[in-house]
Amino acid sequence: MKRLVALAALVAALYAVPALATPYLLHVMVLSCLYAIPAVGLNLMLGYTGLVSLGHIAFAGIGAYVAAWLMVDARLGFWSALAIAVAASGLAGALIGAICLRFRSHFFMIVTLAFGLMLYSVMNNWDDVTRGAAGFPGIPRAPGFTTLESFYRLALSGALLAFAIQWRVVRSDFGRILLALRQDERLALAKGVNAALCKTAVFALGSALAGLGGVLLVSFLRVAAPASFTLAESINAVLVVIVGGAGSLAGPALGALLFVALPEYLRVAAEWRLVAFGVLLVLITLFAPRGLAGLIAEGWRRVARRSQ
Amino acid sequence: MAAALLEQVINGAMTGSVYVLVALGMVLIYGVMHVLNFAHGVLFMLGGYLCHFFLTRLTGNYALAVLLTMAALAVVGAMLERGVFRPLQGNLRNQVIASLGLILALENLAVALWGPNALQIKVPATERLVALGELRFPLQHLLIIGVTAAVVAAMFVFLKWSKVGTALRATSQDRNAARVVGIPVERMDVASFALGTALAALGGALVGPLFLVFPQMGDAPMVKGLAGILLGGMGSVPGAVVGGLIIGIAESVSTLFLPTDYRDSVAFAIMVLILLARPRGLFGVRARGEP
Repeated sequence: MKRLVALAALVAALYAVPALATPYLLHVMVLSCLYAIPAVGLNLMLGYTGLVSLGHIAFAGIGAYVAAWLMVDARLGFWSALAIAVAASGLAGALIGAICLRFRSHFFMIVTLAFGLMLYSVMNNWDDVTRGAAGFPGIPRAPGFTTLESFYRLALSGALLAFAIQWRVVRSDFGRILLALRQDERLALAKGVNAALCKTAVFALGSALAGLGGVLLVSFLRVAAPASFTLAESINAVLVVIVGGAGSLAGPALGALLFVALPEYLRVAAEWRLVAFGVLLVLITLFAPRGLAGLIAEGWRRVARRSQ
Repeated sequence: MAAALLEQVINGAMTGSVYVLVALGMVLIYGVMHVLNFAHGVLFMLGGYLCHFFLTRLTGNYALAVLLTMAALAVVGAMLERGVFRPLQGNLRNQVIASLGLILALENLAVALWGPNALQIKVPATERLVALGELRFPLQHLLIIGVTAAVVAAMFVFLKWSKVGTALRATSQDRNAARVVGIPVERMDVASFALGTALAALGGALVGPLFLVFPQMGDAPMVKGLAGILLGGMGSVPGAVVGGLIIGIAESVSTLFLPTDYRDSVAFAIMVLILLARPRGLFGVRARGEP
């Protein structure tokens, strides 16, 4: 009960941010939300199931370009385009995931990396449909969410939806199967789990969430450019998940906030910021494998023990 | 048509040689340590930058600059092994994630130190043309192919007949057995990392004069090198050589039929198809620890 109240207060506070924040802070908050959504998808795959995908953001690109094409060329409304685009990235995730999942451990990583690069190459080069390297211009914002404040509410709602889905999945039987697959796939198989089906399903779900993030991102930027869906962005998604805490419910939110918001305030040059994050990623794997969420939980436990 | 085909085959052999150098280093590290180092491409990139640095600041001699680059990066490789990859041994997921962190850190370090714009390494061999029948190639093309061939030959001799090479092979076959017969396994890890990184540095230093030196220059060779390794069979040294060459030549020849923009995709498509048909690659090595 206490937890529920705290959660409700947090959500209310997040929705109240526009009343207090400067446009600059709001912009940073929107970007944090938009980074968190695909990260939730990747957290389900990487954190809970143990599938390290190195092409995750390419699926955000599929959603983004499908939505862009539907809205600009097919003159469809925002919401139907969003729904179709999310379904399309989920479907692409199921199909490509089914191929990638025939491989194990590092082979899986390499094949996801290769598919990510191939999808990027299509976005970059299929000029007739994607408008090539310059990007796909003229994407509208969602009706009713055209200003920065209102778009923040949309992005926040999207992120909260993603976290709600993550919570629901993790607490379900399906989520327990995913955990079992991460811990010991052979044992899970012996228990009668259909591993291939479950892993494909989580790949599709993760990709659909990535697609949701992609659609919102290009609607915010009003242009879909291949530069938003590069290998570097896929690496950043892994970074957000790992730094935040892979396999923890709040991890992607902490990771996205740290990745987007903190450097904006430190005001360092972009390349030094990424150098620092790269080093941070190495240090986290070495010394704090459960990420920020793990560190916070550990710190909280110590405080609680001391106060008793 | 035949001349165009021959031209693309030679071009492909040149890019393929670069992939071979990258693949050889990665396969060596993978074989001995069972580490997949995705940061191998940024080490390749550092090779290009350091070669530029040594050539312009320290010595005017290209060959000397290349050797200095290899030595410097061998030290970097040994440090990475001690500091990052050894503590994570046995945890493949964290090793891969740490190598992603290294990509971010080193690539942006290059941007911070040298700026985002490409640098040029001025070497006479890029301007002198050599006639092969009716075709003309820059000397640097043939230099790359020649140096790679020599390195591959030296590598085979080293692994086959030298004491350290034999110890490396023994460690890659069975770590514990190697330890039992008195091979310093930890030192073999450092050696494989230093040697692999030096090979990546050689690749970067050789390609630098031909295409420019820029922070992302290692991304494509790393991925293509990986494709070559998978094609040849994970953990197989001859497989890495053949696989790298096939990828290079196939993508070059594909430009005769497909728009050049898609040449990268050709390499990946070949890789995925081969893996689906022959999961162990052409040379069919069953890698250690693989089910």
